Amino acid sequence: MNNTLDFNRLGKVVKHDSASFVQNLGLALIILWAIPVVIWLFNSLTPSHAHMDAFSRIGMIGLLGKILLIIAPARLYKYCNDSRQGIGFAMLPASTLEKFISMVFYCVIVAPIIYLAGALAIDSVLSVLGGPYEGFAIADYFDKFAQLKDMWKDKMMFDEEDYSILANTFTPTMIIISKILTVLTLSSIFMFGNMVFKKRKTGKMIGILILLFIIFMIIMVNYAANHEYWFQRMFGEITEENAAEVFKHAICIIFRASMIVSAIISAVMLWLTYYKIKTQKY
Amino acid sequence: MIKINNLDFAYKNTQVFRRINLEFEKGNIYGLLGENGVGKTTLLKLICGLQQPQHGVITVDGFDPSMRQPEFLQNVYFMPEEVITEDTTPEKFIQKTGVFYPRYDFDLFNKLMKELEVDLTKKFNELSHGQKKKALLACAMSLQTDYLFLDEPTNGLDIPSKALFRKVISQYCSDETTVIISTHQVKDVENLIDPIVILDRDDVLLNASFSKITEKIFFEYGPERLENAYYTEMLPGGYINVMRNVNNEESNVNIEALFNAVMKNKEQIKDLMK
Repeated sequence: MNNTLDFNRLGKVVKHDSASFVQNLGLALIILWAIPVVIWLFNSLTPSHAHMDAFSRIGMIGLLGKILLIIAPARLYKYCNDSRQGIGFAMLPASTLEKFISMVFYCVIVAPIIYLAGALAIDSVLSVLGGPYEGFAIADYFDKFAQLKDMWKDKMMFDEEDYSILANTFTPTMIIISKILTVLTLSSIFMFGNMVFKKRKTGKMIGILILLFIIFMIIMVNYAANHEYWFQRMFGEITEENAAEVFKHAICIIFRASMIVSAIISAVMLWLTYYKIKTQKY
Repeated sequence: MIKINNLDFAYKNTQVFRRINLEFEKGNIYGLLGENGVGKTTLLKLICGLQQPQHGVITVDGFDPSMRQPEFLQNVYFMPEEVITEDTTPEKFIQKTGVFYPRYDFDLFNKLMKELEVDLTKKFNELSHGQKKKALLACAMSLQTDYLFLDEPTNGLDIPSKALFRKVISQYCSDETTVIISTHQVKDVENLIDPIVILDRDDVLLNASFSKITEKIFFEYGPERLENAYYTEMLPGGYINVMRNVNNEESNVNIEALFNAVMKNKEQIKDLMK
Protein backbone atom coordinates (compact mmCIF):
# COMPACT_ATOMS: atom_id res chain seq x y z
CA MET A 1 0.00 0.00 0.00
CA ASN A 2 1.26 3.46 -0.90
CA ASN A 3 1.11 5.40 2.33
CA THR A 4 1.94 8.77 0.77
CA LEU A 5 -0.29 9.25 -2.27
CA ASP A 6 -2.87 6.90 -3.66
CA PHE A 7 -5.22 8.44 -6.22
CA ASN A 8 -8.07 6.13 -5.35
CA ARG A 9 -7.80 7.15 -1.69
CA LEU A 10 -7.34 10.81 -2.65
CA GLY A 11 -10.65 10.57 -4.54
CA LYS A 12 -12.28 9.23 -1.39
CA VAL A 13 -10.90 12.12 0.68
CA VAL A 14 -12.15 14.64 -1.88
CA LYS A 15 -15.58 12.97 -1.84
CA HIS A 16 -15.52 12.84 1.97
CA ASP A 17 -14.77 16.57 2.19
CA SER A 18 -17.38 17.42 -0.43
CA ALA A 19 -20.12 16.09 1.84
CA SER A 20 -19.75 19.07 4.17
CA PHE A 21 -18.85 21.70 1.55
CA VAL A 22 -22.34 23.12 0.99
CA GLN A 23 -23.18 22.82 4.67
CA ASN A 24 -20.09 24.75 5.76
CA LEU A 25 -19.69 27.29 2.98
CA GLY A 26 -23.20 27.52 1.53
CA LEU A 27 -24.39 30.39 3.72
CA ALA A 28 -21.21 32.41 3.17
CA LEU A 29 -21.56 31.96 -0.60
CA ILE A 30 -25.20 33.03 -0.53
CA ILE A 31 -24.35 36.16 1.48
CA LEU A 32 -21.52 37.08 -0.89
CA TRP A 33 -23.72 36.48 -3.92
CA ALA A 34 -26.52 38.51 -2.33
CA ILE A 35 -24.44 41.66 -1.83
CA PRO A 36 -24.47 42.73 -5.54
CA VAL A 37 -28.20 41.92 -5.62
CA VAL A 38 -28.82 44.15 -2.60
CA ILE A 39 -26.80 46.96 -4.20
CA TRP A 40 -28.75 46.51 -7.45
CA LEU A 41 -32.05 46.60 -5.57
CA PHE A 42 -30.98 49.62 -3.53
CA ASN A 43 -29.88 51.55 -6.61
CA SER A 44 -33.02 50.53 -8.49
CA LEU A 45 -35.34 51.68 -5.75
CA THR A 46 -33.62 54.91 -4.75
CA PRO A 47 -34.46 58.00 -6.82
CA SER A 48 -30.81 58.64 -7.77
CA HIS A 49 -30.65 55.42 -9.88
CA ALA A 50 -26.86 55.49 -9.59
CA HIS A 51 -25.31 53.37 -12.34
CA MET A 52 -22.47 50.93 -11.90
CA ASP A 53 -20.44 50.07 -14.95
CA ALA A 54 -19.11 46.58 -15.61
CA PHE A 55 -15.55 47.58 -14.68
CA SER A 56 -16.45 48.67 -11.13
CA ARG A 57 -18.66 45.59 -10.68
CA ILE A 58 -15.73 43.35 -11.60
CA GLY A 59 -13.82 45.13 -8.83
CA MET A 60 -16.64 44.44 -6.40
CA ILE A 61 -16.87 40.77 -7.41
CA GLY A 62 -13.10 40.50 -7.02
CA LEU A 63 -13.19 42.06 -3.56
CA LEU A 64 -15.99 39.76 -2.42
CA GLY A 65 -14.04 36.85 -3.90
CA LYS A 66 -11.05 37.79 -1.76
CA ILE A 67 -13.32 37.79 1.30
CA LEU A 68 -14.38 34.26 0.35
CA LEU A 69 -10.74 33.16 0.05
CA ILE A 70 -10.09 34.56 3.51
CA ILE A 71 -13.03 32.86 5.21
CA ALA A 72 -13.15 29.58 3.26
CA PRO A 73 -10.44 27.60 5.15
CA ALA A 74 -11.94 28.33 8.56
CA ARG A 75 -15.45 27.56 7.29
CA LEU A 76 -14.52 24.34 5.51
CA TYR A 77 -11.90 22.94 7.91
CA LYS A 78 -12.83 24.66 11.15
CA TYR A 79 -12.34 21.65 13.40
CA CYS A 80 -9.30 20.01 11.83
CA ASN A 81 -7.01 21.14 14.68
CA ASP A 82 -9.59 20.97 17.46
CA SER A 83 -8.43 18.66 20.23
CA ARG A 84 -11.85 17.02 20.39
CA GLN A 85 -13.64 17.49 17.09
CA GLY A 86 -10.49 17.25 15.00
CA ILE A 87 -9.89 13.63 15.94
CA GLY A 88 -12.06 12.46 13.05
CA PHE A 89 -9.92 14.44 10.59
CA ALA A 90 -6.66 13.13 12.05
CA MET A 91 -7.82 9.52 12.23
CA LEU A 92 -9.30 9.41 8.72
CA PRO A 93 -7.34 6.65 6.98
CA ALA A 94 -5.64 8.83 4.39
CA SER A 95 -2.17 10.27 4.21
CA THR A 96 -1.30 13.81 5.27
CA LEU A 97 -0.58 14.64 1.64
CA GLU A 98 -4.01 13.45 0.52
CA LYS A 99 -5.77 15.45 3.24
CA PHE A 100 -3.65 18.47 2.35
CA ILE A 101 -4.36 18.18 -1.40
CA SER A 102 -8.08 17.93 -0.72
CA MET A 103 -7.89 21.02 1.53
CA VAL A 104 -6.04 22.98 -1.15
CA PHE A 105 -8.47 21.73 -3.81
CA TYR A 106 -11.52 23.05 -1.96
CA CYS A 107 -10.02 26.29 -0.62
CA VAL A 108 -7.99 27.36 -3.66
CA ILE A 109 -9.92 25.89 -6.59
CA VAL A 110 -13.48 24.78 -5.85
CA ALA A 111 -14.63 27.59 -3.54
CA PRO A 112 -13.38 30.49 -5.75
CA ILE A 113 -14.62 28.88 -8.97
CA ILE A 114 -18.10 28.24 -7.57
CA TYR A 115 -18.22 31.76 -6.16
CA LEU A 116 -16.99 33.37 -9.38
CA ALA A 117 -19.35 31.36 -11.58
CA GLY A 118 -22.30 32.24 -9.36
CA ALA A 119 -21.33 35.91 -9.01
CA LEU A 120 -20.88 36.38 -12.77
CA ALA A 121 -24.14 34.54 -13.51
CA ILE A 122 -26.04 36.73 -11.03
CA ASP A 123 -24.42 39.85 -12.49
CA SER A 124 -25.45 38.76 -15.99
CA VAL A 125 -29.05 38.18 -14.90
CA LEU A 126 -29.18 41.59 -13.19
CA SER A 127 -27.70 43.25 -16.29
CA VAL A 128 -30.38 41.65 -18.45
CA LEU A 129 -33.04 42.92 -16.06
CA GLY A 130 -31.76 46.44 -16.68
CA GLY A 131 -31.60 49.11 -14.05
CA PRO A 132 -28.35 50.32 -12.51
CA TYR A 133 -26.05 47.59 -13.86
CA GLU A 134 -24.71 48.49 -17.29
CA GLY A 135 -23.15 45.83 -19.50
CA PHE A 136 -22.04 42.35 -18.58
CA ALA A 137 -19.21 42.13 -16.06
CA ILE A 138 -18.01 38.83 -17.52
CA ALA A 139 -17.88 40.27 -21.04
CA ASP A 140 -16.08 43.35 -19.80
CA TYR A 141 -13.54 41.19 -17.97
CA PHE A 142 -12.56 39.22 -21.07
CA ASP A 143 -12.79 42.33 -23.19
CA LYS A 144 -10.17 43.97 -20.98
CA PHE A 145 -7.76 41.16 -21.70
CA ALA A 146 -8.32 41.48 -25.42
CA GLN A 147 -7.71 45.20 -25.30
CA LEU A 148 -4.91 45.23 -22.76
CA LYS A 149 -2.46 46.80 -25.13
CA ASP A 150 -4.91 49.51 -26.18
CA MET A 151 -5.80 50.12 -22.58
CA TRP A 152 -2.26 51.11 -21.74
CA LYS A 153 -2.21 53.52 -24.62
CA ASP A 154 -5.65 55.02 -23.98
CA LYS A 155 -5.96 55.02 -20.22
CA MET A 156 -2.41 55.91 -19.32
CA MET A 157 -2.03 58.17 -22.34
CA PHE A 158 1.51 57.13 -23.03
CA ASP A 159 2.91 57.18 -26.49
CA GLU A 160 3.88 54.06 -28.40
CA GLU A 161 7.38 53.84 -26.94
CA ASP A 162 6.40 54.72 -23.39
CA TYR A 163 3.80 52.10 -22.90
CA SER A 164 5.89 49.27 -24.33
CA ILE A 165 7.61 48.48 -21.05
CA LEU A 166 4.26 48.33 -19.25
CA ALA A 167 2.65 46.35 -22.03
CA ASN A 168 5.55 43.89 -21.98
CA THR A 169 5.24 43.43 -18.22
CA PHE A 170 1.47 43.47 -17.79
CA THR A 171 0.74 40.89 -20.46
CA PRO A 172 -2.50 38.86 -20.24
CA THR A 173 -0.44 35.82 -19.24
CA MET A 174 1.34 37.71 -16.47
CA ILE A 175 -1.91 39.18 -15.22
CA ILE A 176 -3.53 35.74 -15.13
CA ILE A 177 -0.51 34.38 -13.25
CA SER A 178 -0.66 37.29 -10.80
CA LYS A 179 -4.39 36.65 -10.21
CA ILE A 180 -3.72 32.96 -9.59
CA LEU A 181 -0.90 33.89 -7.23
CA THR A 182 -3.18 36.29 -5.37
CA VAL A 183 -5.72 33.50 -4.90
CA LEU A 184 -3.02 31.06 -3.84
CA THR A 185 -1.32 33.50 -1.45
CA LEU A 186 -4.52 34.57 0.29
CA SER A 187 -5.77 31.00 0.55
CA SER A 188 -2.48 29.58 1.75
CA ILE A 189 -2.06 32.27 4.42
CA PHE A 190 -5.54 31.63 5.80
CA MET A 191 -5.19 27.84 5.48
CA PHE A 192 -2.10 28.09 7.64
CA GLY A 193 -3.93 30.38 10.08
CA ASN A 194 -6.71 27.82 10.20
CA MET A 195 -4.25 25.14 11.27
CA VAL A 196 -2.41 27.32 13.79
CA PHE A 197 -5.26 28.99 15.64
CA LYS A 198 -8.04 27.15 17.38
CA LYS A 199 -10.49 29.99 17.87
CA ARG A 200 -11.20 33.21 15.95
CA LYS A 201 -8.90 31.86 13.28
CA THR A 202 -9.64 34.37 10.51
CA GLY A 203 -9.68 37.40 12.82
CA LYS A 204 -6.35 36.49 14.39
CA MET A 205 -4.73 35.95 11.00
CA ILE A 206 -6.03 39.30 9.72
CA GLY A 207 -4.65 40.95 12.88
CA ILE A 208 -1.25 39.36 12.30
CA LEU A 209 -1.23 40.47 8.66
CA ILE A 210 -2.08 44.05 9.63
CA LEU A 211 0.69 43.98 12.22
CA LEU A 212 3.19 42.57 9.71
CA PHE A 213 2.13 45.15 7.14
CA ILE A 214 2.68 48.00 9.63
CA ILE A 215 6.11 46.62 10.57
CA PHE A 216 6.99 46.16 6.90
CA MET A 217 5.93 49.71 6.05
CA ILE A 218 7.92 51.18 8.95
CA ILE A 219 11.01 49.26 7.82
CA MET A 220 10.53 50.23 4.18
CA VAL A 221 9.93 53.91 4.91
CA ASN A 222 12.98 54.00 7.18
CA TYR A 223 15.04 52.15 4.62
CA ALA A 224 13.94 54.40 1.79
CA ALA A 225 14.59 57.52 3.84
CA ASN A 226 18.09 56.40 4.78
CA HIS A 227 19.13 54.74 1.55
CA GLU A 228 18.50 57.22 -1.20
CA TYR A 229 21.47 55.80 -3.07
CA TRP A 230 19.53 52.55 -3.46
CA PHE A 231 16.99 54.31 -5.67
CA GLN A 232 19.73 56.16 -7.48
CA ARG A 233 21.60 52.94 -8.12
CA MET A 234 18.45 51.43 -9.58
CA PHE A 235 17.07 54.35 -11.54
CA GLY A 236 19.81 56.92 -11.64
CA GLU A 237 19.12 60.56 -10.76
CA ILE A 238 15.38 61.26 -10.71
CA THR A 239 14.59 64.44 -12.61
CA GLU A 240 11.41 66.04 -13.88
CA GLU A 241 12.17 64.67 -17.35
CA ASN A 242 12.72 61.05 -16.40
CA ALA A 243 10.14 60.86 -13.53
CA ALA A 244 7.52 59.14 -15.70
CA GLU A 245 10.10 56.64 -16.96
CA VAL A 246 11.26 55.88 -13.40
CA PHE A 247 7.63 55.55 -12.32
CA LYS A 248 6.93 52.99 -15.06
CA HIS A 249 10.08 51.05 -14.25
CA ALA A 250 9.22 51.11 -10.56
CA ILE A 251 5.71 49.79 -11.28
CA CYS A 252 7.13 46.94 -13.34
CA ILE A 253 9.72 46.08 -10.70
CA ILE A 254 7.11 46.16 -7.93
CA PHE A 255 4.76 43.98 -10.03
CA ARG A 256 7.46 41.39 -10.72
CA ALA A 257 8.77 41.50 -7.17
CA SER A 258 5.26 41.12 -5.75
CA MET A 259 4.74 38.06 -7.92
CA ILE A 260 7.97 36.50 -6.72
CA VAL A 261 7.15 37.35 -3.10
CA SER A 262 3.62 35.94 -3.54
CA ALA A 263 5.02 32.72 -4.96
CA ILE A 264 7.49 32.40 -2.07
CA ILE A 265 4.84 33.20 0.57
CA SER A 266 2.43 30.70 -1.01
CA ALA A 267 5.05 27.96 -1.10
CA VAL A 268 6.11 28.58 2.52
CA MET A 269 2.53 28.80 3.79
CA LEU A 270 1.48 25.65 1.94
CA TRP A 271 4.46 23.75 3.27
CA LEU A 272 3.78 24.98 6.83
CA THR A 273 0.11 23.98 6.51
CA TYR A 274 1.15 20.51 5.36
CA TYR A 275 3.65 20.24 8.20
CA LYS A 276 1.06 21.40 10.74
CA ILE A 277 -1.45 18.79 9.51
CA LYS A 278 1.25 16.13 9.80
CA THR A 279 2.37 17.08 13.31
CA GLN A 280 -0.85 18.39 14.84
CA LYS A 281 -1.46 16.91 18.29
CA TYR A 282 -4.93 16.32 19.66
CA MET B 1 0.03 -6.31 19.06
CA ILE B 2 0.67 -3.01 20.82
CA LYS B 3 4.09 -2.56 22.38
CA ILE B 4 5.05 0.39 24.53
CA ASN B 5 8.68 0.69 25.58
CA ASN B 6 10.16 3.28 27.92
CA LEU B 7 7.42 5.76 27.22
CA ASP B 8 7.81 9.26 28.57
CA PHE B 9 5.07 11.80 28.10
CA ALA B 10 4.31 15.16 29.64
CA TYR B 11 1.91 18.03 29.01
CA LYS B 12 4.09 21.13 29.42
CA ASN B 13 5.10 20.83 33.08
CA THR B 14 2.88 17.89 34.02
CA GLN B 15 4.55 14.52 33.72
CA VAL B 16 2.00 11.88 32.72
CA PHE B 17 4.14 8.81 32.01
CA ARG B 18 7.68 8.09 33.09
CA ARG B 19 9.47 5.22 31.37
CA ILE B 20 6.45 2.94 31.25
CA ASN B 21 6.41 -0.42 29.49
CA LEU B 22 3.19 -2.07 28.44
CA GLU B 23 1.92 -4.67 25.99
CA PHE B 24 -1.56 -5.28 24.65
CA GLU B 25 -2.04 -8.64 22.98
CA LYS B 26 -4.38 -9.21 20.08
CA GLY B 27 -7.91 -10.46 20.52
CA ASN B 28 -8.52 -9.24 24.07
CA ILE B 29 -10.90 -6.73 25.56
CA TYR B 30 -8.71 -4.69 27.88
CA GLY B 31 -10.04 -2.58 30.69
CA LEU B 32 -7.88 0.49 31.18
CA LEU B 33 -8.56 1.66 34.69
CA GLY B 34 -7.25 4.50 36.76
CA GLU B 35 -8.24 7.51 38.77
CA ASN B 36 -9.20 10.71 37.01
CA GLY B 37 -6.23 12.43 35.43
CA VAL B 38 -3.77 9.52 35.47
CA GLY B 39 -3.52 9.51 31.68
CA LYS B 40 -5.97 6.91 30.42
CA THR B 41 -7.15 9.10 27.55
CA THR B 42 -3.60 10.25 26.90
CA LEU B 43 -2.42 6.65 26.59
CA LEU B 44 -5.17 5.91 24.07
CA LYS B 45 -4.27 9.06 22.14
CA LEU B 46 -0.60 8.05 22.11
CA ILE B 47 -1.49 4.60 20.77
CA CYS B 48 -3.66 6.20 18.07
CA GLY B 49 -0.96 8.70 17.08
CA LEU B 50 -2.95 11.71 18.22
CA GLN B 51 -0.12 12.56 20.60
CA GLN B 52 3.59 11.97 20.27
CA PRO B 53 5.79 10.49 23.00
CA GLN B 54 8.68 12.61 24.22
CA HIS B 55 10.73 9.49 24.70
CA GLY B 56 10.29 5.82 24.04
CA VAL B 57 8.65 3.77 21.33
CA ILE B 58 5.08 2.74 20.62
CA THR B 59 4.35 0.24 17.90
CA VAL B 60 1.01 -1.12 16.76
CA ASP B 61 1.53 -4.20 14.59
CA GLY B 62 4.91 -2.72 13.73
CA PHE B 63 3.56 0.72 12.79
CA ASP B 64 4.64 3.91 14.47
CA PRO B 65 1.26 5.51 15.29
CA SER B 66 2.64 9.05 15.25
CA MET B 67 3.28 8.69 11.49
CA ARG B 68 -0.49 8.33 10.98
CA GLN B 69 -0.04 6.19 7.90
CA PRO B 70 -3.25 5.16 6.11
CA GLU B 71 -2.37 1.47 6.44
CA PHE B 72 -2.25 1.93 10.22
CA LEU B 73 -5.26 4.24 10.45
CA GLN B 74 -7.55 1.88 8.55
CA ASN B 75 -7.06 -0.69 11.28
CA VAL B 76 -7.76 1.47 14.30
CA TYR B 77 -10.74 3.42 15.53
CA PHE B 78 -10.83 5.76 18.49
CA MET B 79 -14.14 6.71 20.04
CA PRO B 80 -13.53 9.75 22.24
CA GLU B 81 -15.39 10.46 25.43
CA GLU B 82 -16.92 13.59 24.01
CA VAL B 83 -18.83 12.56 20.95
CA ILE B 84 -18.85 14.52 17.70
CA THR B 85 -21.71 16.89 16.99
CA GLU B 86 -21.80 16.69 13.20
CA ASP B 87 -24.84 18.08 11.50
CA THR B 88 -25.50 14.80 9.75
CA THR B 89 -27.23 11.50 10.38
CA PRO B 90 -25.14 8.57 11.66
CA GLU B 91 -26.04 6.79 8.41
CA LYS B 92 -24.57 9.53 6.22
CA PHE B 93 -21.58 9.84 8.53
CA ILE B 94 -20.73 6.15 8.29
CA GLN B 95 -21.32 6.08 4.54
CA LYS B 96 -18.75 8.82 3.96
CA THR B 97 -16.29 7.45 6.54
CA GLY B 98 -16.72 3.72 6.04
CA VAL B 99 -15.28 3.69 2.51
CA PHE B 100 -11.81 4.15 4.01
CA TYR B 101 -12.01 0.96 6.05
CA PRO B 102 -11.49 -2.35 4.21
CA ARG B 103 -13.84 -4.43 6.39
CA TYR B 104 -16.58 -1.83 6.83
CA ASP B 105 -20.03 -3.45 6.85
CA PHE B 106 -23.07 -1.22 6.34
CA ASP B 107 -25.49 -4.05 7.12
CA LEU B 108 -23.77 -4.55 10.44
CA PHE B 109 -24.16 -0.82 11.11
CA ASN B 110 -27.90 -1.00 10.49
CA LYS B 111 -28.19 -4.10 12.65
CA LEU B 112 -26.30 -2.47 15.50
CA MET B 113 -28.32 0.74 15.26
CA LYS B 114 -31.47 -1.37 15.66
CA GLU B 115 -30.04 -3.37 18.53
CA LEU B 116 -28.86 -0.25 20.30
CA GLU B 117 -32.25 1.34 19.68
CA VAL B 118 -30.96 4.47 17.97
CA ASP B 119 -33.25 6.53 15.76
CA LEU B 120 -31.83 6.23 12.24
CA THR B 121 -33.55 9.32 10.91
CA LYS B 122 -32.17 11.83 13.40
CA LYS B 123 -28.98 13.82 12.97
CA PHE B 124 -26.18 13.49 15.51
CA ASN B 125 -26.89 16.90 17.00
CA GLU B 126 -30.56 16.00 17.43
CA LEU B 127 -29.74 12.90 19.47
CA SER B 128 -29.34 12.82 23.25
CA HIS B 129 -25.83 12.30 24.64
CA GLY B 130 -26.48 8.61 25.30
CA GLN B 131 -28.01 8.10 21.86
CA LYS B 132 -25.04 9.84 20.24
CA LYS B 133 -22.68 7.50 22.05
CA LYS B 134 -24.64 4.45 20.95
CA ALA B 135 -24.77 5.70 17.35
CA LEU B 136 -21.04 6.27 17.36
CA LEU B 137 -20.49 2.83 18.87
CA ALA B 138 -22.52 1.32 16.02
CA CYS B 139 -20.36 3.28 13.56
CA ALA B 140 -17.15 2.15 15.27
CA MET B 141 -18.18 -1.51 15.41
CA SER B 142 -19.32 -1.59 11.78
CA LEU B 143 -15.84 -0.51 10.63
CA GLN B 144 -14.50 -3.81 12.00
CA THR B 145 -11.03 -2.50 12.66
CA ASP B 146 -8.36 -4.63 14.34
CA TYR B 147 -8.10 -2.14 17.18
CA LEU B 148 -10.96 -0.35 18.84
CA PHE B 149 -10.25 2.24 21.51
CA LEU B 150 -13.18 3.37 23.60
CA ASP B 151 -12.72 6.28 25.98
CA GLU B 152 -15.27 6.25 28.79
CA PRO B 153 -17.86 4.65 26.52
CA THR B 154 -20.50 4.17 29.21
CA ASN B 155 -20.52 7.78 30.45
CA GLY B 156 -23.96 9.20 29.83
CA LEU B 157 -25.57 5.85 29.08
CA ASP B 158 -28.65 4.79 31.02
CA ILE B 159 -28.78 1.37 32.73
CA PRO B 160 -30.41 -0.56 29.84
CA SER B 161 -27.99 1.05 27.41
CA LYS B 162 -25.01 -0.04 29.51
CA ALA B 163 -26.25 -3.61 29.28
CA LEU B 164 -26.73 -3.20 25.52
CA PHE B 165 -23.21 -1.82 25.25
CA ARG B 166 -21.74 -4.89 26.98
CA LYS B 167 -23.84 -7.18 24.81
CA VAL B 168 -22.81 -5.52 21.57
CA ILE B 169 -19.11 -5.50 22.43
CA SER B 170 -19.02 -9.12 23.50
CA GLN B 171 -21.21 -10.32 20.63
CA TYR B 172 -19.84 -8.42 17.65
CA CYS B 173 -16.14 -8.08 18.34
CA SER B 174 -14.24 -10.73 16.45
CA ASP B 175 -11.55 -12.86 18.07
CA GLU B 176 -8.96 -10.84 16.18
CA THR B 177 -10.14 -7.49 17.48
CA THR B 178 -8.33 -5.82 20.33
CA VAL B 179 -10.56 -3.52 22.32
CA ILE B 180 -9.23 -1.15 24.95
CA ILE B 181 -11.91 0.37 27.12
CA SER B 182 -10.79 3.25 29.27
CA THR B 183 -13.11 3.82 32.19
CA HIS B 184 -13.34 4.72 35.82
CA GLN B 185 -16.77 3.14 36.07
CA VAL B 186 -15.60 -0.42 36.59
CA LYS B 187 -19.07 -1.85 37.28
CA ASP B 188 -20.13 -0.94 33.75
CA VAL B 189 -17.52 -3.19 32.19
CA GLU B 190 -17.59 -6.05 34.67
CA ASN B 191 -17.81 -9.45 32.94
CA LEU B 192 -16.67 -7.79 29.71
CA ILE B 193 -13.05 -6.88 30.20
CA ASP B 194 -10.15 -9.25 30.57
CA PRO B 195 -7.24 -8.42 31.06
CA ILE B 196 -7.10 -5.36 33.26
CA VAL B 197 -4.56 -2.53 33.11
CA ILE B 198 -4.43 -0.18 36.07
CA LEU B 199 -2.62 3.11 35.57
CA ASP B 200 -1.27 5.32 38.28
CA ARG B 201 0.33 8.74 38.01
CA ASP B 202 3.26 8.15 35.63
CA ASP B 203 3.25 4.39 36.19
CA VAL B 204 1.51 1.11 35.31
CA LEU B 205 0.44 -0.74 38.43
CA LEU B 206 -1.12 -3.82 36.88
CA ASN B 207 -1.46 -5.47 33.50
CA ALA B 208 -2.82 -8.96 33.96
CA SER B 209 -5.53 -11.33 32.85
CA PHE B 210 -8.22 -12.49 35.26
CA SER B 211 -6.65 -15.95 35.45
CA LYS B 212 -3.30 -14.46 36.43
CA ILE B 213 -4.94 -12.15 38.93
CA THR B 214 -6.86 -14.94 40.64
CA GLU B 215 -3.75 -17.07 40.61
CA LYS B 216 -2.01 -14.48 42.79
CA ILE B 217 -4.88 -12.69 44.51
CA PHE B 218 -7.79 -14.19 46.39
CA PHE B 219 -11.16 -12.49 46.71
CA GLU B 220 -12.75 -13.71 49.90
CA TYR B 221 -16.40 -13.01 50.66
CA GLY B 222 -17.03 -13.61 54.36
CA PRO B 223 -18.66 -12.39 57.51
CA GLU B 224 -15.58 -10.66 58.89
CA ARG B 225 -12.81 -8.23 58.06
CA LEU B 226 -9.45 -9.97 57.72
CA GLU B 227 -6.39 -8.25 59.09
CA ASN B 228 -3.94 -9.54 56.48
CA ALA B 229 -6.07 -8.42 53.53
CA TYR B 230 -4.75 -5.86 51.08
CA TYR B 231 -8.16 -4.29 51.06
CA THR B 232 -11.42 -4.88 52.84
CA GLU B 233 -14.81 -3.48 52.07
CA MET B 234 -18.15 -3.91 53.71
CA LEU B 235 -20.80 -5.37 51.44
CA PRO B 236 -24.43 -6.19 52.16
CA GLY B 237 -24.25 -9.35 54.25
CA GLY B 238 -20.56 -9.29 55.00
CA TYR B 239 -17.13 -8.25 53.75
CA ILE B 240 -14.99 -8.66 50.69
CA ASN B 241 -11.34 -9.21 51.50
CA VAL B 242 -8.72 -8.92 48.79
CA MET B 243 -5.70 -10.91 49.85
CA ARG B 244 -2.73 -12.87 48.64
CA ASN B 245 -3.74 -16.26 47.21
CA VAL B 246 -1.46 -18.41 49.32
CA ASN B 247 -3.49 -21.62 49.03
CA ASN B 248 -4.13 -21.49 45.27
CA GLU B 249 -7.85 -21.10 45.82
CA GLU B 250 -10.22 -20.10 43.08
CA SER B 251 -12.24 -16.92 43.32
CA ASN B 252 -14.10 -14.38 41.23
CA VAL B 253 -12.49 -11.04 40.56
CA ASN B 254 -14.28 -8.06 41.96
CA ILE B 255 -12.84 -5.30 39.80
CA GLU B 256 -13.76 -2.46 42.13
CA ALA B 257 -12.21 -4.18 45.14
CA LEU B 258 -9.17 -5.13 43.08
CA PHE B 259 -8.75 -1.55 41.93
CA ASN B 260 -8.95 -0.23 45.47
CA ALA B 261 -6.56 -2.93 46.71
CA VAL B 262 -4.04 -2.01 44.01
CA MET B 263 -4.32 1.70 44.76
CA LYS B 264 -3.72 1.08 48.47
CA ASN B 265 -0.84 -1.39 48.04
CA LYS B 266 0.86 -0.21 44.89
CA GLU B 267 4.34 -1.59 45.33
CA GLN B 268 3.26 -4.82 47.07
CA ILE B 269 0.82 -5.80 44.32
CA LYS B 270 3.27 -4.74 41.59
CA ASP B 271 5.86 -7.06 43.11
CA LEU B 272 3.29 -9.81 43.59
CA MET B 273 2.18 -9.72 39.95
CA LYS B 274 5.71 -9.77 38.51
